[in-house]
Amino acid sequence: MRRGVTEKQSGLVQGTLDMLILKTVALEPMHGYGIGVRLEQISKGALQINAGSLFPAFRRLERDGLIKGEWRATENNRRAKFYALTAQGRATLKRETEDWEQQTAVIARVLRASAVKP
Amino acid sequence: MRTLLSRFVGGLRALFQPQRTELELDDELRAYLDEAVERKMADGLSREDATRTARAEMGSVAAVKDDVRDVGWESLVDTLWQDVRYGIRTLGRSPGFTAVAVLTLAIGIGANTAIFTVINSLLLRNLPVAEPDRLVRIVAGTVDTTRNTCVWPTCQDLWTYATWEQVRLRTDLFDGAFAYSSGGAFNLGTAGEMQSIEGLFVSGTFFSTLGVPALVGRTFTSSDDVPGGGLDGPVAVISYRCWQRRFGGAADVIGQSLVIEGVRFSIIGVTPPEFFGLEVGRAFEVAVPVGTDTLIRGADSMMRSEDDALRIMIRLKPGQSLEEATTTLRAVQPEIRTGAMPKGFPELEEGFLTHAFTLLPAGAGTSSMRLRYEMALLTIFAVVVVVLLIACANVGNLLLARGTSRRQELSLRVALGAGRGRVVRQLLVESLLLAGGGALVGLILAGWGCRGLMALLPAGLTATPFLDVSFDWRVLAFTAMVSLVTATLFGIAPALRATRVAPIDALRHHGRASAFGGSVSGSLVVAQIALSLALVVAAGLLVRTFARLGSVALGFDSDRVLLVVVDAQRVPIDPVDRPRFFQKVVDTVRAVPGVSHAAGSMFAPVSGTVSQMRVDVPGGAVLPEGERVSLRHFITPGWFRTYGTPVHAGRDLDERDNAGAQPVVLVNEAFVRRFFPDGNAVGRTVTTARNDLPVGTRTIIGVAGDATYRSLREERQPTIYLPLAQWNLPFPLNPRIFISVRPVAGSPMALAPSVATAIAGVDRNAAFMFRSLEDQVYASIAQERFVAMLSGLFGVLALLLAGLGLYGITAYAVARRRSEIGVRIALGAGRADIMRLVIGRSLGVTAAGIVIGLAAAALATRFLGRLLFGVTPLDPATFVAVALLFIVVTTLAAFLPARRATTVDPLIVLRSE
Repeated sequence: MRRGVTEKQSGLVQGTLDMLILKTVALEPMHGYGIGVRLEQISKGALQINAGSLFPAFRRLERDGLIKGEWRATENNRRAKFYALTAQGRATLKRETEDWEQQTAVIARVLRASAVKP
Repeated sequence: MRTLLSRFVGGLRALFQPQRTELELDDELRAYLDEAVERKMADGLSREDATRTARAEMGSVAAVKDDVRDVGWESLVDTLWQDVRYGIRTLGRSPGFTAVAVLTLAIGIGANTAIFTVINSLLLRNLPVAEPDRLVRIVAGTVDTTRNTCVWPTCQDLWTYATWEQVRLRTDLFDGAFAYSSGGAFNLGTAGEMQSIEGLFVSGTFFSTLGVPALVGRTFTSSDDVPGGGLDGPVAVISYRCWQRRFGGAADVIGQSLVIEGVRFSIIGVTPPEFFGLEVGRAFEVAVPVGTDTLIRGADSMMRSEDDALRIMIRLKPGQSLEEATTTLRAVQPEIRTGAMPKGFPELEEGFLTHAFTLLPAGAGTSSMRLRYEMALLTIFAVVVVVLLIACANVGNLLLARGTSRRQELSLRVALGAGRGRVVRQLLVESLLLAGGGALVGLILAGWGCRGLMALLPAGLTATPFLDVSFDWRVLAFTAMVSLVTATLFGIAPALRATRVAPIDALRHHGRASAFGGSVSGSLVVAQIALSLALVVAAGLLVRTFARLGSVALGFDSDRVLLVVVDAQRVPIDPVDRPRFFQKVVDTVRAVPGVSHAAGSMFAPVSGTVSQMRVDVPGGAVLPEGERVSLRHFITPGWFRTYGTPVHAGRDLDERDNAGAQPVVLVNEAFVRRFFPDGNAVGRTVTTARNDLPVGTRTIIGVAGDATYRSLREERQPTIYLPLAQWNLPFPLNPRIFISVRPVAGSPMALAPSVATAIAGVDRNAAFMFRSLEDQVYASIAQERFVAMLSGLFGVLALLLAGLGLYGITAYAVARRRSEIGVRIALGAGRADIMRLVIGRSLGVTAAGIVIGLAAAALATRFLGRLLFGVTPLDPATFVAVALLFIVVTTLAAFLPARRATTVDPLIVLRSE
């Protein structure tokens, strides 16, 4: 239930935050704050995800074995936990991305069709 | 799958290394914040502003941590564990309440566990053998397929040795077969008084087909089971119990010998502790091959006679259904029957050939105890369930009262932000703890209870009852389930009620109770009184049944007779001379000083063993074939005088009625009533019907009074008494008969030593055993005694619990209304007014309880039907007596607190406000 609430708060369709995080760390291992900033940047400020949503998602993904955390130094030379995608995570991301694209394509088609014939 | 596993492992890690997980999360959050501050400073904010903004964006660290923790399943375990610890502390703070609640539940749960354990052992459990589901036994005739039993008297489940030989030839149709004869009490004594040991004759394939291995040594093979003993001579396998009890568990028991009926057997193996044989309710001590019966019983051996002595069991092939196996067996039935045709009984041949074999599942073993106690046990089970319900109501009431006094604590928790669900969970955890405690103590009580129950079972004439009442997984699962259900039953209503609190209550001083007890606890007490009343009524009927049976006129003097089992097996005489030998023993015993009368007979009264015969009565009433049946009893002269049974018409048996004289019989009055409605029997004749063992045509010389031989419950059966001296059945008289001895005065048992000397004087090879007839009668109503004692015990317990329940809520209400009562007294209320105030409400509750209880009892006692004897299910005396008893007890329970209420001192009460 809580999971639904936090994602609603960030204005995301349920379950998509996990996908976005996976996508973000797919490029390179990143720490928590970095992931939040990156999501904000890529979305051009549309997605502002706070710690209350991010950290439960990290814990969830880590538990499911999709990401893996490792303590490393940041560019500012502080210690932070960097998350990297696991092989299983990569497979999940690929599958979910395909599913997502397929679904959005279908929905888009439906929406367009009804737009033509009111 | 992998995801689930990694979730599970992660949760475990968090559970077992909570600090490490916590610290890491702290570090991570700190790093997050630091990074945020750093970035914001890079954007040009001052350190102070940056820190403030970052903090504001992040929100409460504690809340984030909570959210993270809630991701895994372990958080549930964590909070539950918190609830448990908190619950233990809370309960520990009120030890009196906890002790009463746990003990009440322990009695309820313990009683249920004990009865269930016995039910499990007797009715549910399979035999401790390999794949019991594939075991079936051969029977013929009427069967009860729901209980897998053979229905007496039209069903046959014992077979001749010849039949077994025929089946043995065809074992490959199945996955093995074996035969055994249960119930032999072997004599270990060499002379004089018998030392019985529970023995089994088994075929060589017995242990291997059952899949029972030897714990020590080996079990039998087919080469051990040959007439007269195999290559190793007579060999025996003993049970674990026998090994421990008679050999002290000696390591070198293999090779030692056991002299059974004068034959030396060498021990070759010991069976595992859990194997007790195939008869549930008894435990074998020694098993010997069927083939050794020729050594033990010589001419009487089942291998040389047409005795139906053996049970035959088959192991089905894997996948072979009962129906397939039955078809297979019936296909070879003609060959088996022809091959096993008894010789010398032409009148039996036709029925013998056509009586079809039936297979019955036998994985649960056979059990006469099961048949006898099934109904009784299930009834007592219902009784203990009611006791548990009453206990639940009691504890529920305690919790309700406690909930009221915990209002402040609970509303404080709600005020501090605990959700209602969370508080209910907390209270339910406390209930579960109470039930768990009750279950633990209950298991201990049940352990004692089971041993007590076993002690209630009477020793039989030759066999000692034995039931393995150890707790197995099924019993533990049952207890766990019962305590769960119990906790829910007594816990849920109080928990829901107690949490109906507003946070503001925490701030108020404890509020005043408006009414006595409240409606929930009031209806709980009504239910309690009603349930316990119904239970006490049922118990009353069962106790009366037992009392009635105890005073049934037996038609003989049960307290004046000593029973002696005399065994002439080893007396070196021709079996056909046995009647003469026994007559000699009887005459010698009669001459013993202090003996007034003595007589011999084939059966002992009320031992459960009788024999029947089909009769034709020329010139008598015309009756359907099923009713032309009579008990058949061989006796010596003096029998009626020994037992004090009158001979009403004609004459008694005497010495003239010997082998050479005219064949005669006496009959009882029931026989006359059935076969000679005109009342004239003396001088008429009876003869054996077709299809039965012939006793020839005999003249009735006298009519004796009716007497009970089989069961105290049944109507007096028509009985024919035949003189032992005129034994003319086509096989020799059994070597073991009963001699009944009546003393001139004093205790029958006191005669035993002089009777022993007298018997040994006739032939020192005669073996014997004493038993008082009174014990025998007592044992015959053991099942009724069992039910009466247990239902009586639980009835008293239920009454006590209900009384305590009523007392409890009244006393509690008085305590809570002290100030109100004080004010009333200060304003001039008298003693009587206060009493009326307190008792008034209790009386309403009691009256409702009694009325509902009587109605419930009237509905419920119908189901006791079969267990009752001499009382009707609606016996007015019992109903009235129980109702009066409840009025007395409940009045007392309300009166005591009421009297205390009148002693309230208004000054003290008002000052304490």
